[in-house]
Amino acid sequence: MITEPYSITIKELNEAGADNIPPELVPATQLIYSSPATLAFNSPGATGFGVKRAGLAVPGSVMLLVAPGCCGRNTKLLSEIPGYEDRFFFLLMDESDIVNGDHLARVPEAVKEVVEYLDEKPSAVMICATCVDALLGTDWDRVCRKAETLSGVPVRPCYMYALTREGRKPPMVLVRKAIYSLLEPAKRDPRTVNIMGYFSSLTDDCELYDLLMQAGVRKINEISRCRDFEDYRGMSRANFNIILNHEARTAADDIAGRLGIPYLELTRLYQIDKIANQYSAFAGSIGAEFDDSEYRKHAEKAVADFREKYGSISIAVGEMLNANAFELALSLVKYGFRVPEIYSNVSREDYVYIRHLAEISPETRLFTNLSPTMLFYDCSRAEADLTLGKDAEYYHPDCPNVPWNEEKQPFGYSGVTRLFEKMTEALA
Amino acid sequence: MSVKGLHKIIYPFAPDQSGAAAVLYELGGMIIICDAGGCAGNVCGFDEPRWLSTKSAVFSAGLRDMDAILGRDDLLIEKIKKASAKIDAKFVAVIGTPVPATIATDYKALKRMAEKRTGLPVITIDSNGVLWYDSGIEKTYLECFRKFTPEDTEKNIIPDSVGVIGVTPLDSESLSAGKRITETLTAGGSKRVICYGVGGSLEDFADAGRTEKNIVVAASGLKAARYLKERYGTPYECSDPLIGEVRAGLPLSTEDLYGKKILIIHQQVRANALRDTLRKETDDTGNAPDITVATWFIMDDEIAEEGDFRIREESDFFDHVSDGGWDIIIADGSFRKAAGDFGGRFIDLPHFAVSGHFADEESVRFYT
Repeated sequence: MITEPYSITIKELNEAGADNIPPELVPATQLIYSSPATLAFNSPGATGFGVKRAGLAVPGSVMLLVAPGCCGRNTKLLSEIPGYEDRFFFLLMDESDIVNGDHLARVPEAVKEVVEYLDEKPSAVMICATCVDALLGTDWDRVCRKAETLSGVPVRPCYMYALTREGRKPPMVLVRKAIYSLLEPAKRDPRTVNIMGYFSSLTDDCELYDLLMQAGVRKINEISRCRDFEDYRGMSRANFNIILNHEARTAADDIAGRLGIPYLELTRLYQIDKIANQYSAFAGSIGAEFDDSEYRKHAEKAVADFREKYGSISIAVGEMLNANAFELALSLVKYGFRVPEIYSNVSREDYVYIRHLAEISPETRLFTNLSPTMLFYDCSRAEADLTLGKDAEYYHPDCPNVPWNEEKQPFGYSGVTRLFEKMTEALA
Repeated sequence: MSVKGLHKIIYPFAPDQSGAAAVLYELGGMIIICDAGGCAGNVCGFDEPRWLSTKSAVFSAGLRDMDAILGRDDLLIEKIKKASAKIDAKFVAVIGTPVPATIATDYKALKRMAEKRTGLPVITIDSNGVLWYDSGIEKTYLECFRKFTPEDTEKNIIPDSVGVIGVTPLDSESLSAGKRITETLTAGGSKRVICYGVGGSLEDFADAGRTEKNIVVAASGLKAARYLKERYGTPYECSDPLIGEVRAGLPLSTEDLYGKKILIIHQQVRANALRDTLRKETDDTGNAPDITVATWFIMDDEIAEEGDFRIREESDFFDHVSDGGWDIIIADGSFRKAAGDFGGRFIDLPHFAVSGHFADEESVRFYT
């Protein structure tokens, strides 16, 4: 009987290669441990901006969850978040519905009843569909068209199909497409830009806003900053879209196809030199020049100050945070800290960081939040002075922690600066 | 007339798979939620308040679309086998969700295959996510007693022993309910108190046939109690050992009850116990209240009074509240909004399976 959690060094992981990821790290080959990160990662409706909450990013919209009762249960928690109190409705399936799909005939009437029940007509009704309809092969576009005709408001499907999580278009990709699907062609404004990828805005102090202004942009749209539906529709006038999360590519492709708005992609990084390179390339691609020197200096100072105060401490890194766990770990090691452990799922795309991390911190161990053996994780096995991520806190409950999962999204130099400020606060 | 199944105000209650997991959580088994991930997320992240404080081997089967479409039970069995080689589990439980319900998974076959491959006892619960938590609890207790209480138990009754069926966090007002029930019954003379599923172990089920009597504290425990009575002759009664505390916590004086028409909405045993308590307070006054019990959950005829009713749809709730002429409604606070312009007194009686909140707010949630 094994009593140790499965883990692998970054060196071993790198040597195995992206085409040979150990089966212990592949979700499809094992039962999945219900660790905190698993719940966030494996359940598309469970926490933060899952499908349910994300689908309501359209201002003034409401959601009708069409599902067995179990799929709507934890929505109670979302309803307790300000701004979501009266926006969720449920059409609950019974035991025959899940087999013969009878509930589909009730959807248009249910949408109509919800619209009539509300004091104010919603901008849209988002239908949250679940695994049962994935298996029934429901044509939601057709059902939504019928509901739209009957209710007189736009109706769009949001696919909370956990079964398709590892498919080509997983739920969090499709929901991003859904929330921009109400945009219609409009006259373009060369000084307007959309930032896409997150369901909440960047932090107010993010330098990206200023850098875009330096490039002549006058209006920067983010869906979470849209005050109302009219504001949201204004996103159709953008000259180009910036996507900050790869899960928004499908949405950006759709917008490019329907509205002719091109897009480019930036990555959230914590390595200051790479941030600088990315901004430089970005500026070049839009024919502009950025002066990011002050922001860079701030970030470098925040790192240096922390390093001076706390030395080369050990920092364990989880994946339930606003960062790629491997990129963040790589950054920390490059800044002179030790990263004894990472708790994360791993994908091919992570190898771009894993390769570098293997060179400078080969003994860092990777644990997967998914493995049933994580039941045996004992926090005394590795020393950590600080943990980053809510999952890392779960494994080291007595260690200072920075959850780093705030809703306002960190990005760029300001993200680095803010992270080190939070780390300082946690250790103070 | 509202559309069938439409809920505009009342959020869905804890589902049957959460009920099943609640009974099994502390028994030392490997609990597999047969889902794609979301159902396990709901169980651990919302409906199981012990999750943060007490480790338990609760896993998601991690089903993917092609697993379900192609009915790859063999893959699931392989996953179970691999995990059972790493986890020191006393048994394996496979808990159903909408996915296996939709594709009509053959649980009997799954059970046989899993037992053969793991060498462990296996139980399967055919929950489907459509029914509420009480259905899952009911099925799971029954299955546990059938599986883990030996057939050949001799009539060697343990003196002054009492089994308590139906204590789960979902029906309790606090995480400490099991402990307090044990204390209360011990103070009343019981020498051995077993709260099945809470604070005990799988071994408790082995002694279930030797228990002197059973107390059913939630209607979801009734079927199991009847089974034990039929199989082992163990008598049972429905009662709520904590009702005194519950009553004391209500902001209602005895005078407030006089001549009032009162509706209590909860699980049936607690609601009945509260009704009995309130009646006793006013028995001698000649001005007793008229009290009706209603529930969204199991309404068992054996313990129901004439006029008690079950609520099945949100629109039923609206109708009963507005047309019943009630002076006082005692129910989970999350029903207050649905009670709309009800003009009487609304008294909060927390029910975790409804609101996800305990009375003492001991509920610890990860997603905050």
